[in-house]
Amino acid sequence: MKKDFNLTDFAIRYGFLLLMLGLVIGFSVAQPAFLSARSGVFILQSVAITGILALGVTATLVVGGFDLSIGAVATSALMLSAYAMVIWDLGAVEAVLLCLAMGALVGLINGLLIVKMKVPDLLATLGMMFLLMGLQRIPTEGNSISTGMSLPGGGTATGTFSEGFLMLGRYRLDFILEDLVPLSVVFLIVIALLVWGFLELTRHGRVMYAIGSNAKAASLAGINVNGYRVLAYVISGTLASFGGILLAARLGRGDVASGNNLLLDAVAAALIGFAVLGAAKPNAFGTAIGALFVGILLQGLTMLNAPYYTQDFIKGAVLVVALVFTFALSGRNGRGRT
Amino acid sequence: MISRRIFVSLMGGIALLPGMALAEGAPAPFDNPGKVKIALVRYLSTGDFFQAYLSGVEKQAAALGVDLQVFDSRQDAALQADMVDQAIALGVQGIIIQHGLTESMKDAAQRAVAAGIKVVAFDVNVENPAIPQVEQSDRDLARLALEQAIKDQGETWTAGYVYVPGIAPLDRRDETWKEFKAKYPGITEKAMFGTMDNPIANSVANQARSVLSANPDIQVVFAPYDEFAKGVKIAVDEAGMSADVAIYSADISTADIALMREPGSSWKATAATNPAVVGEVSVRTLAQLLAGETVGASVIVPPTLITQAQLNELNISNMEELGAKLPAFVHADVSVSPWMALPAR
Repeated sequence: MKKDFNLTDFAIRYGFLLLMLGLVIGFSVAQPAFLSARSGVFILQSVAITGILALGVTATLVVGGFDLSIGAVATSALMLSAYAMVIWDLGAVEAVLLCLAMGALVGLINGLLIVKMKVPDLLATLGMMFLLMGLQRIPTEGNSISTGMSLPGGGTATGTFSEGFLMLGRYRLDFILEDLVPLSVVFLIVIALLVWGFLELTRHGRVMYAIGSNAKAASLAGINVNGYRVLAYVISGTLASFGGILLAARLGRGDVASGNNLLLDAVAAALIGFAVLGAAKPNAFGTAIGALFVGILLQGLTMLNAPYYTQDFIKGAVLVVALVFTFALSGRNGRGRT
Repeated sequence: MISRRIFVSLMGGIALLPGMALAEGAPAPFDNPGKVKIALVRYLSTGDFFQAYLSGVEKQAAALGVDLQVFDSRQDAALQADMVDQAIALGVQGIIIQHGLTESMKDAAQRAVAAGIKVVAFDVNVENPAIPQVEQSDRDLARLALEQAIKDQGETWTAGYVYVPGIAPLDRRDETWKEFKAKYPGITEKAMFGTMDNPIANSVANQARSVLSANPDIQVVFAPYDEFAKGVKIAVDEAGMSADVAIYSADISTADIALMREPGSSWKATAATNPAVVGEVSVRTLAQLLAGETVGASVIVPPTLITQAQLNELNISNMEELGAKLPAFVHADVSVSPWMALPAR
């Protein structure tokens, strides 16, 4: 009996990582091009944006909240950065700062709606999502933004995406191979380390977990619960707007998009993260692995010519399995959500 | 008497100036266009294409002087059908149905016809003989782009193909692609991929990167939708393969023109129908129906081929200049009756 018990325990802790390893081996056998440094870096690049968004969601999940507006914040930042550079002729630094400020402001408003106006998390951020999806289209009357576009008031836009801004999404560092690592991947890794460090190593992070498991107890222990909850949404909004900046730098134009797919992919990554190492709670390391897992799956399947709907199917299946890992298996050992 | 005759002919001459509208005397009900109410009932509205389509509808409606009401169902099929009923209740004389699903729109369209309202459908088949269908010819779009690919690249190449089944215009473009593959056995399709995940260009770029690293021998990518082409171009640039891969696509926008004109751009040609022109044709077709003229079962707006070389030669940088310098793009001589006023250029 004891041996069986250990096996379950082992499966819960390392099952997901082993599954990922198995996938990598499987794809490499089927398509040797899969196992190259470039392919590996590319997987990271493809998940950089959703990964950064997912880390933001993780921050809100930790305090027991949920941010549905991140996809819309990201696409709003995409439009805002394009608007700032193409129509207002601003430089890269101003555009980035403006977007980050917008993200932080949206996060702040979300947070205040939730703690001051007592609107439930899902509803407040849902409202914000729709608001932003509409708002980002108003200045251009629903058109995408690109250099040379005709302005609603007549005339054409003369500004361009500055080189420095485009570098954020396109510049590659020499690492082992020439031009190997895109900056966006570096950002993902740095942000993942920062969020992980903040949540796991600082007092603030532990306080946030305490709020997530029992807000009332945390409050009685003298913690400024509302302050930390607002902080979580500000982190989430800021990271989402940063994801949008990277998206704009990659696309090189202000693309009209709802961002719903970004939201869903980011939430999936964060939820898959619950299962990594049997954590059974939101955590930055798991979120990063979750995003990577989805990236590996999609890259491998695309290389094997699998059509897009099988990819959605498999993404969904992975999420369901991950949630079963988290809630059923972990719960049985009494290590469920505290 | 003479002076009076001169006066009348003078008046006629002046009336000729602003257009043909008053010269021949517009038929009823356009002799009093302010009283004519038409409705545009949309299924799809987000994106450059639909925005431009709407502007075409608005301009032509304004040129005719009719009252236009826009209903936007935002991809809600049931709501779109309800909106047709709403338009009927409002007492409009004509309805343009823009996209939608056959199943949900068929009955609603029939109710409108039964109420004596003239109906035109754009890019949706409502299976009703009384309703003409305005179409941009997707098969011609694909054919023009592919013929240019054959001209540039010869008859033997390795291809990547971007396609998402189940979307009517893409399905029609796909038919042409299949015909071309059969006609030119030298074309080998190495990979097929595609997704409609938003933002489409970003998602397709991710896929295209995988495809290109798995199949570095791909020479031509046929991406018959400009969002797809954008995504492929991002991937080609990121992989440093701009010199090795040529992209052929369909549709165009200001952003696309900039991408095609980048130095060393791999995006070689696109075939496009101006969505604004399609919007204008939709309104004119409806106007012909209202005036009691006969209209065929399908009204096809012909596409234009736009190549990278052309854009560079004519130094075209946005849609307005494209219209000004490629006249074929800005006006289609389709569904034009002599009494109609066309939008000002």
